[in-house]
Amino acid sequence: MRRPIAFEVFRYAAIALAVAITLVPIAWMTSMAFKPTAEWQATGANLTWWPKSPTLDNFRFIFGQSSTALIVALERTAAKPILSSLLSAGFGTLIAMGAGTAAAYGLSRFKAGGNLPLALLQLRLFPPMAVMIPVMVMWTFLKLNDTWFGLALIYGIVTLPFAFWLMKTFFDDFPREIEEAALVEGCSRFRVFLKVTLPMMAAPLASSALFVFILNWSDYLIALLLTNREWATIPVYMASLSSSMTGQLYGAKAALGLIAAVPPVIAGIAIQRHLVRGLTFGALKQ
Amino acid sequence: MTSFAETEATLAIAADDADRADRRLGLYLTLPAQILVLFIAVFPLLMQLYISLTSWSPLSGRGWWDAWTLWNNFANYLNLAVDARWWSALLRTLLVMAICVPAEFLLGLALAILFMDNFRGKRVFYSILLMPMMVVPAVAGYMFFMLFQSGGPVNNIASAISGHNVAIAWLSNPSLAFIAVAVADIWQWTPLMFLILLAGLLGVPDDQLKAATLLGANWWQRFVTIMLPRMRAIIVIALAIRLIENFKIFDTLYIMTAGGPGTATETISVFIYKLTTNDLSWGYVAAIALVVLISLSVALGIAIARQTKRREAAS
Repeated sequence: MRRPIAFEVFRYAAIALAVAITLVPIAWMTSMAFKPTAEWQATGANLTWWPKSPTLDNFRFIFGQSSTALIVALERTAAKPILSSLLSAGFGTLIAMGAGTAAAYGLSRFKAGGNLPLALLQLRLFPPMAVMIPVMVMWTFLKLNDTWFGLALIYGIVTLPFAFWLMKTFFDDFPREIEEAALVEGCSRFRVFLKVTLPMMAAPLASSALFVFILNWSDYLIALLLTNREWATIPVYMASLSSSMTGQLYGAKAALGLIAAVPPVIAGIAIQRHLVRGLTFGALKQ
Repeated sequence: MTSFAETEATLAIAADDADRADRRLGLYLTLPAQILVLFIAVFPLLMQLYISLTSWSPLSGRGWWDAWTLWNNFANYLNLAVDARWWSALLRTLLVMAICVPAEFLLGLALAILFMDNFRGKRVFYSILLMPMMVVPAVAGYMFFMLFQSGGPVNNIASAISGHNVAIAWLSNPSLAFIAVAVADIWQWTPLMFLILLAGLLGVPDDQLKAATLLGANWWQRFVTIMLPRMRAIIVIALAIRLIENFKIFDTLYIMTAGGPGTATETISVFIYKLTTNDLSWGYVAAIALVVLISLSVALGIAIARQTKRREAAS
């Protein structure tokens, strides 16, 4: 279909505007991360959009190198929070994908599970804030407070609905003829699942796992309530990057923010094809 | 040599065995998920109900199982009914929804329409436009916190455009803080609407659009009579997802304003969070949480019932 030139011009103008608005906050944080202290402290007319003398000082600072310009040293470096985020989001993903994949297969093939799908949907509907009191009481009782595995366990439960619904739609699409052929060969049902279906589902499994990982990595509220000193995750730790003397350490925050933002953006672009399916609980397949 | 009937009988028995084995396997496979759901749903909800009937707090010096000694005759629920701070937090949450979700929907739909056919650079622009929703919300909160400082880039741009020195204290003015928070939410979640609605637009059958074009329908007529009705289900899904997620709004908002100035941007999640960590009145929090959970469940039930009724009517 031919479009008039005017439409093409309008389209590029509109998209350019949208792209600019999309990129400004990201670009600003990136620029701040590479600015030396004097530049990220600048305000008003002295702001620079592009770092005049780009430096890695902010990154060195959050990993423990003291800064002469700031006269502050960090009590704790960003290394442990990054480890905490990785461990809790990683193992949370493992729990969600393990339980979710098994349940999805059970439901997709054997109609097992009863009310499970609806219960999981409901789990997603609830604000996490509204179930945290009992979780905090239980976690204290079980000594899971402020540990990465306590956080991983709750992440696994919170993202279970996504893992389940995603994998269910993938299993629903998987041709049964292949499984039936293996059954005729004399494989048990469970062996077919393990040795035939799962290996052939490697790509959907990987995309779903990345999707669930992004969700876990993005959490703030739960970590804020369940961790404090020992195993604070990146966003929780970020709040401590300020001091009474110098106020907000924007440069350090921007550097850490950049570190936190990069993995999910890359993962998200990698699984772009499946994003719609994941976000709509498999109701929409692109 | 076995007769035909015998073979059939053995087959039937074998099928029966296989059936039972299948059912058992299905049960085993769903078991871990069931246990996790029970672990987070049934027992905690009972505990929540129990605590909500008392004035228990982690500072009260006794275990939660002893909370009955602090039984307070439904005072938590009665207090909630007249708690002005709760009602304004609820209203504010609904207001955020009423501003952000339609804005995200309209912007997302407009972008999706622009992306319907092929043009140079489409893939690159598409990837860029999706980026905000992958940024960790807490980090997005810090981004906008920096942008909206009175000596920050937003005012800087405004100064450059207006020619005057603009130094608005966005985050410490009640209504401006509200706008800043809404801008951050719209920035982050318009891409989600765009993504889903574009998938919906591309799913509209081409032949129908072509037929309508041949019959002389202009673009607007095709949009209203073919595309919109065809996308109905997808629009409902997109709106439902954003309404649900927006209702929980916490991360960006809490980092930008912490619910302030005062309580100017305090939504339900922020309100509950503050009661949990500052006031430590966990009995009261449990009551609020239960009220929220029950209201949402009822709303979900009604929505699903209506949806099924409509589907039955359609078929």
